[in-house]
Amino acid sequence: MTIDPEMLMAYADGELDPLAAKRVEKAIAADPALAAQVEQHRMLAASLRTAFAPVERAPIPARIEAMIRESAKVVPLAPRPARRERRFWIGAIAASLVAGLVAGPLMWPQGDSIGFENGRTVARGEVARALDTQLASAQPEGAALRIGVTFRDRGERLCRTFERGETSGIACASGREWRIERLYGGTAGQSTEYRQAGSSSSAAMADAQAMMAGQPMSAEEEMRALAARR
Amino acid sequence: MRFEEQLLDHLPRLRRFAHALARNAADADDLLQASVERALLRREQWEPGTRLDSWMYRLMRNLWIDTVRAETRRGETFVPPDAGEAVGAAGNQEAVVELGKVGAAMRTLPPDQREALALVVIEGFAYREAAEILDVPIGTLTSRLVRGREALMAKLGEAA
Repeated sequence: MTIDPEMLMAYADGELDPLAAKRVEKAIAADPALAAQVEQHRMLAASLRTAFAPVERAPIPARIEAMIRESAKVVPLAPRPARRERRFWIGAIAASLVAGLVAGPLMWPQGDSIGFENGRTVARGEVARALDTQLASAQPEGAALRIGVTFRDRGERLCRTFERGETSGIACASGREWRIERLYGGTAGQSTEYRQAGSSSSAAMADAQAMMAGQPMSAEEEMRALAARR
Repeated sequence: MRFEEQLLDHLPRLRRFAHALARNAADADDLLQASVERALLRREQWEPGTRLDSWMYRLMRNLWIDTVRAETRRGETFVPPDAGEAVGAAGNQEAVVELGKVGAAMRTLPPDQREALALVVIEGFAYREAAEILDVPIGTLTSRLVRGREALMAKLGEAA
């Protein structure tokens, strides 16, 4: 059968349904000239994309971006970094740490549950003990601090969400220590700008989901992971 | 996501489309600016939940085709593309990007072939999506694509 130029091009572009694609493939197998044409189509497409790719990477003229920002003035937009997610992430950590610093004395009356070392926030006292030993699957009756989920983050670190009263957090193991990665506001008005809605524990869970590589640990995995730290 | 945020996200691609359509870099950025202006004015016409990028491409293409038609009426068509194809004016801090001979060849194509190629090959729209943006039957789109590609191959073959 004959293959018209439209069909051959559609084949090269991956636009044919499987049945039609099969027919073209048969024809190509029988005719090297057709195969060469498909190759030409693909090479042309690739060189067109390559030619215009730098336009997409070049900075947008400031006047045009300014127009959009001007229009959005009512609620200012976040700066538009090349890696938006990353910027937001660091911002969120900073914001939650600030919230932790400011609200710390209120949320942690004992004062010795969270400490600061070399600019890092670490778990101490009962928080550290609970993180070291308490299983999410078998929480002691009446425990002041409850473990939510245990998981590995994308950096392979062992991390756990915890909750005490109105306060929630995410801690990740670093050597013998537990670094407090996030702390979510206790009483009303202490929530950070990123977490205005929902309880502190659901905020911690949502962020844990985002940090997680794979699934939360099962009871057995959790037990093994904690045992391995001793 | 907010209208403006989405628009900002699409800007680099929209700019690429503008540069594939327009005859030179200055016209392309003017086209991008005019499209953004019109989009901000007509934002109520965009239905949230539908694709903003398709809406923007259609808007930009319609603006562009208006200028092309106006030029045709004034007998200004087929003005050869400017020498020194580049993105960003000289003396400007914006990066200057060479489009090369492929980009230059693209700009010699008739408008209907250029827009079809830009949407499908450069912007990566499916035939059906591109036909919708251009408001033409899919058969019309594919024949423009074939003719445009054959013309480009011929031009680039000569140059090689």
